[in-house]
Amino acid sequence: MTETYTFNFMKEVSSLLHAADGNPFPMCVQCGSCSGSCPVAAYMDYTPRQIIAMVNAGLKDQVLNSNTFWYCASCYQCSVRCPQGISITELMYALQRYSIWKSRYQEGLIGPSFSEAFAKTIVNAGRTFEPILAPSYIFRFKLREFFLEVQNATELMLKGRLPLLPPRIKRLDNFKRMIRKIIPIGGLA
Amino acid sequence: MAKRILIIDDDPDFVAGIKSILDTAGFEVDVAYDPKTGQKELQSQTYDLLLLDIMMGRGAEGVMIARKLRKDAKLREMPVLIITGMREQIAFLFPGEPIHPRFVEVDELVEKPVEPTMLIEKVNALIQAAEVRKALTQ
Amino acid sequence: MKDYAYFPGCSLEKLAISYHTSALETSKKLGARLMELDDWNCCGSTTYFHIDELLAYTLSARNLAIAEKTGLDLVAPCSACYKNMYFTAAHLKKDPELAEHINYALEEDDLHFSGNIRIRHLLEMYAQDIGPEEIKTAVTHPLDGVQIAPYYGCQILRPRKDHESVEQPHYFEDLISAIGATPIDYPLKTRCCGGSLIISSRTAALSMVRNLLHTAVERQADVIATACPMCQINLECYQQSVNQEFNTNFSVPIMYFTQLVGVALGIPSKKLGIGKEFISVMPVLASE
Repeated sequence: MTETYTFNFMKEVSSLLHAADGNPFPMCVQCGSCSGSCPVAAYMDYTPRQIIAMVNAGLKDQVLNSNTFWYCASCYQCSVRCPQGISITELMYALQRYSIWKSRYQEGLIGPSFSEAFAKTIVNAGRTFEPILAPSYIFRFKLREFFLEVQNATELMLKGRLPLLPPRIKRLDNFKRMIRKIIPIGGLA
Repeated sequence: MAKRILIIDDDPDFVAGIKSILDTAGFEVDVAYDPKTGQKELQSQTYDLLLLDIMMGRGAEGVMIARKLRKDAKLREMPVLIITGMREQIAFLFPGEPIHPRFVEVDELVEKPVEPTMLIEKVNALIQAAEVRKALTQ
Repeated sequence: MKDYAYFPGCSLEKLAISYHTSALETSKKLGARLMELDDWNCCGSTTYFHIDELLAYTLSARNLAIAEKTGLDLVAPCSACYKNMYFTAAHLKKDPELAEHINYALEEDDLHFSGNIRIRHLLEMYAQDIGPEEIKTAVTHPLDGVQIAPYYGCQILRPRKDHESVEQPHYFEDLISAIGATPIDYPLKTRCCGGSLIISSRTAALSMVRNLLHTAVERQADVIATACPMCQINLECYQQSVNQEFNTNFSVPIMYFTQLVGVALGIPSKKLGIGKEFISVMPVLASE
């Protein structure tokens, strides 16, 4: 595969973060504190340090095709330790944002579809409802994982820890109008 | 004198295309790739029209900018044309639903991709309408 | 009797119902009433809503605005909810333009958030606001000889707030000592449980859980105390998956700190939601 170098990519990612606090990831000194602190680094295609270098070098396709930012657990260990004051976690969110907006992500990842299912449940009901989320991931599991998950769910249900009816907030119409003021999509009754 | 247009859009590929169309049609075009820089440009320069994207930065920041302009005495009269791909970008949230007009305070909203001739027509029409409005109030 | 505005969060409705019941009971016994927010909504959690920050701020701001009306401090038992609400309030205070936009959306529900609220995690409320001294005097059934791993997890500590210690916090240990138990030296106490990766990146999350369990066992913990529903669920409900994946034989009880404090205050186990767990906590209770 030929890699397309897009130096615009650093700028694009930068503008996703610029509007917030400003996040000086182009100032990364490649010390590796983030990768050393990251509890998931071993499972990522590229470590956080590598991803920053790749964004800065404009390796757009390689970055977007990696699992790295979808494997971020949001634990912020890297962010509190970065000597350059980069919020690596926020950078990972920005890459997720970019990836979802452009519908470009590594095939087979559960992260994007789970996130989308989760968001949909909340904008429609105001609350999370675990059982409705399951189809967004469970069919991608290997057989053994699938059975363990079903076993877990059954035990949770027996212990009275699984909701059977989807919860919803009372002032749902107000809530939906509130969301439409932020994201102006969707007709309202 | 050439009319001046500001584009606030975070997609460099889209901007490159649209800027070349507008350049060719004789407009003077500035570009801001993020909402913050865009707002600075609007405060320091005078434009005849703003081409605005919606999904930028932290989320739907275009809506925030449009609302702010409508409350700004100096910029209130400047025509704003939104060109957005937001239904593509976050369609999963509200599948098949249209953009809700009540919540976007702009002159005109067009969805990407944009056809060049139509773009030029809309831009010209909006600038002319703004000039007529201005002449009437003076 | 001090009152707090209380945001339970979605997990505490069912999956972590024992955290909810034990929080209410134990707090009451300590003279603090938790008043559940009226018609609260999901905090946005850590999945999609961090991708759309404006939407995330809006969801949290609605809860903050509801809480602000009560005039009470707001307390959250879930670390993710706590982090979202704490930082939403901080961002809105720092950025008036953002606050104006979010408040424009809140108008649809007749709400307004002006930024006058103190947000606490339930563990901070116990360990810092009420404090170990006061809790110590209320203890009737000290957990003598019980070795507890103080598991903070991530989002109660991080991102950094003000100037608290994110590397070596000690307030959880102090709380454990106050109920007569022994806090073990638990080097992974601020290491992540994997959070929602248990769904989206199963193998990675299971290995994180394995490490946490392994170190706790190695350090001879009788029980791991948690302060977050995600941590409890990952450590407990997925312990069997860890055993299958890594050929281990873990059977470590995982309890909410509110249950442990409740036991020390002499509250009957049923009122603390004890009995709803996958791994029996009876060995812990028997040893006190």
